[in-house]
Amino acid sequence: MKTAAPNTLVARGLIILLMLVTLLPFLSMLSAALAPQGTYPNGLQWPADPQWGNFVRAFEVAKMDQLLLSSALIFLGVVPVSVLVATMAGYGLAKLTTKKYKWLYLIFVFGLTLPFEAVITPLYYEVRALGLLNTRFAIILPLIGLYMPFGVYWMRAHFLNVPHDLTEAAQLDGATRWKEFLLVQVPLARPAIMSLTILLFLWTWNQFLLPVVLVQDPMQRTMAGALGAFQGQWGTDIPLLCAGSLLILLPTVLLFLTFQRQFVAALMQGAVKG
Amino acid sequence: MTETPSSVPGTSKPTRRLSPSRGSRKATVTAWLFIAPAALAYAAFVLVPLGMSICYSLLRWDGIGKATFHGLTNYITVLTDADLLQIIGNAFQLVLYFTVIPVALGLAVASAIRGQMAGRFGTATRTILFLPQVIPLVAAGIAWSWMFASTGLVNQTLKAIGLSSWTRGWLGDFVWALPAVGIIGAWVLLGLCTMLLVTGITKIDPSLYEAARLDGARPWHEFRYITLPGLRQEIGVCITVTVIAALASFDIVYISTQGGPGINTTVPGLEIYRLAFAHRQVGLASALAIVLMVLVLLTIAPVQWFTRDKK
Amino acid sequence: MAGLTLRSVYKNYGDVPVIKGVDLDIQHGEFVVFVGPSGCGKSTLLRMIAGLEDISGGEVRIGDRIVNEVEPRDRGVAMVFQSYALYPHMTVYDNVGFGLKLAGTPKDVRDRKIRDAAKVLQMEHLLDRRPVQLSGGQRQRVAIGRAIVRQPDVFLFDEPLSNLDAALRVDMRMELARLHHDLEATMIYVTHDQVEAMTLADKIVVLNGGVVQQVGSPLDLYNAPANLFVAGFIGSPKMNLLAGQVEQVTDGRLRIVSGAFSVWLDAPTSDLSLRDQVTLGIRPHALTLDANGPLAGTVHLVEQLGNETVIRVLLSDGSDITAVLAGQGSFDVGSTIALGFGDESVHLFGRDGRRVAV
Repeated sequence: MKTAAPNTLVARGLIILLMLVTLLPFLSMLSAALAPQGTYPNGLQWPADPQWGNFVRAFEVAKMDQLLLSSALIFLGVVPVSVLVATMAGYGLAKLTTKKYKWLYLIFVFGLTLPFEAVITPLYYEVRALGLLNTRFAIILPLIGLYMPFGVYWMRAHFLNVPHDLTEAAQLDGATRWKEFLLVQVPLARPAIMSLTILLFLWTWNQFLLPVVLVQDPMQRTMAGALGAFQGQWGTDIPLLCAGSLLILLPTVLLFLTFQRQFVAALMQGAVKG
Repeated sequence: MTETPSSVPGTSKPTRRLSPSRGSRKATVTAWLFIAPAALAYAAFVLVPLGMSICYSLLRWDGIGKATFHGLTNYITVLTDADLLQIIGNAFQLVLYFTVIPVALGLAVASAIRGQMAGRFGTATRTILFLPQVIPLVAAGIAWSWMFASTGLVNQTLKAIGLSSWTRGWLGDFVWALPAVGIIGAWVLLGLCTMLLVTGITKIDPSLYEAARLDGARPWHEFRYITLPGLRQEIGVCITVTVIAALASFDIVYISTQGGPGINTTVPGLEIYRLAFAHRQVGLASALAIVLMVLVLLTIAPVQWFTRDKK
Repeated sequence: MAGLTLRSVYKNYGDVPVIKGVDLDIQHGEFVVFVGPSGCGKSTLLRMIAGLEDISGGEVRIGDRIVNEVEPRDRGVAMVFQSYALYPHMTVYDNVGFGLKLAGTPKDVRDRKIRDAAKVLQMEHLLDRRPVQLSGGQRQRVAIGRAIVRQPDVFLFDEPLSNLDAALRVDMRMELARLHHDLEATMIYVTHDQVEAMTLADKIVVLNGGVVQQVGSPLDLYNAPANLFVAGFIGSPKMNLLAGQVEQVTDGRLRIVSGAFSVWLDAPTSDLSLRDQVTLGIRPHALTLDANGPLAGTVHLVEQLGNETVIRVLLSDGSDITAVLAGQGSFDVGSTIALGFGDESVHLFGRDGRRVAV
């Protein structure tokens, strides 16, 4: 059964056009990154003598290895805890509470539209009062809280779709709620948990506002957060800046290309459900 | 009346599953134990600061010294000060670029390319179109800062097609800076919207199109009467995501224009940051923050309502 | 050794009563079927026995323990769900052994019990598979295996066959009967299918609207339905129910007039009097072709089943009856016909729908 799809050539042409538009900024950055340092390259042109050494220089100057480590530490601090806690809460709200407690869930949902800027100012004072200013925990702890609306929403949506008689069967088998959660529900929730992990990883790794406000030392920030300082320092050296930026966006792109299928699925579902 | 595995004809209502929880105190305690950690984190780092924001917004405070009660003066300032109003207006102007372009273009492209997304070509397309969503916004900002630079790709292209008179330093231009920032956002969100809409289209029953064609519908009719209604939810999602991105924008503006020239690209997100930490006007910053939050809610609510699932 | 007792069991959901005072005694080893239309409360009752629903009033005893407040896992019951409720991410082996694992049973004991149960159900070759790789019938066996392995006092089945196709249903019915015989266990079985009830049960409990209509053996229910509801529910095709009126009362004999015919019935213990409205019940299988029979009318539907013929006849007073006649008779739609019956096959129901002994 063939629906007469629009002209294939036009369609493919459009797609290729879109892909070009998407890739152009990357390409232009790449060509600039390869120009001799300190120069002002002319738009998009492949330099006669590609300076791959710029990347090495940017890596050293920005101390990318430490930045990588910092981002990784922040990710490890934020994401496992957030996913676990959101999964527990999602399960609790989906399976353990009745309609009477819907208000609790709605309080979480309210946070879904909350821009981080709305709370960044008091967060600063709160983090300062906790004595955590300028440490990675200044980013880790608030992020965990800020991810709860989405995480709880996400996992609750998953658990709502699990048939209830699975819980009852586990009850009859003698499982406590916690055992049922660990041994039955969590393994079953693996796809949802994976998607959530991917999304939270992306948001954490690319987080900018919190690091910039709450952490002065670029080495304690996320890679994206450090980019702000990097631009401040080396903004006039376009090739170096471009090389550094490309390096900074490389980790997520590489991970994305490797796990491309899971990322795409997560991003799409994340938008729809969020 | 043949012999059937008979039952008294009743309604085909499944057995009523009465209340899922056991309602006993023990069950409720267990539920709270599961929910507590998330609730605590949320309360500590979102709800409490939100409350603090509201408190601060009623004060006049520089963040260090004493605070004086200021009532609703800050809010009045936000709603009447010309600069602040322009800043809020900038955010809504960005909505034009962040939302209208990706959704409109996405719709057009999605309608045209439905059915082309299979196999390896489709995978490559998906991968590339999603790249802007995967990189940090500030990296996108830097990429486009370079594109918009006086010797950047945009000007280079204009010269190449003979429009040299149009070249300028885009991000420093009083008129064009904000649209330029808008283009950056449109670029970041275009791929996501297109993919969401394409996926949504594949969910539309193809026989609807066939029936329409038999009824004599032209492509425009198909789009208006089948594609658009069928994409209601996805469009709603695109609008919601892009509007929030526009109103709450910070990263892109910070890295590309720092809000300049003047305040022509300043957005509320950036201004809150500046007011609180550079100008030491915590009260005003908090009032602006609350107003921003309310604006987001007010803008999103109708969208959600209009595009809700009417099953 | 555990029987089951329900005393004045009530269940309310909010203000709405769903189970309205059920009394029941179940002996150890009995196969009891709860049957009734959708919404009659049979599943709710089963779940209350299992401990998955709270009991609003009355008491439930398993053995000689009151189990109202006891957790499901401690009641000594096991349940087979309508949708089987198998753990999708575990193999059959792990599914069956989950309860034992939770109870801390040593691995070798657990292994032996799982394999024994698998042997009983002939599913040893399935132990390494996942539920998604199994057919409906196989999944059902796993669900039953999970119940068997816990060696419960009472087995509970919640419409276990309703998700299977007709042929498989018949096979599984026989398997369940065999299982009951082999395990000698108490089984409570919920279904809306009266054929399943009739074929499997030692004792049937008919429920309607949360109230027990009748408890008895299948043949008791068939031969002496306690009220109109049971009369219409048990037996297929449905019993013919004709409205009538008492015209004469003489020495414990009643003359009932219905439509165009009348019949004399012995009812020594009835308290019916003249002009009382009653209902006569005659099963379709009890009607025979009789040229002088009292039920005369026109045939308007004929169904040939090979071994018997089902016809529907419109009587002269407008009422409609069904008859099942042996063999492959030829009847034309629109032709007239007369049917007769033995007086002993008539059921009499009083004004309140309850059976009157005849």
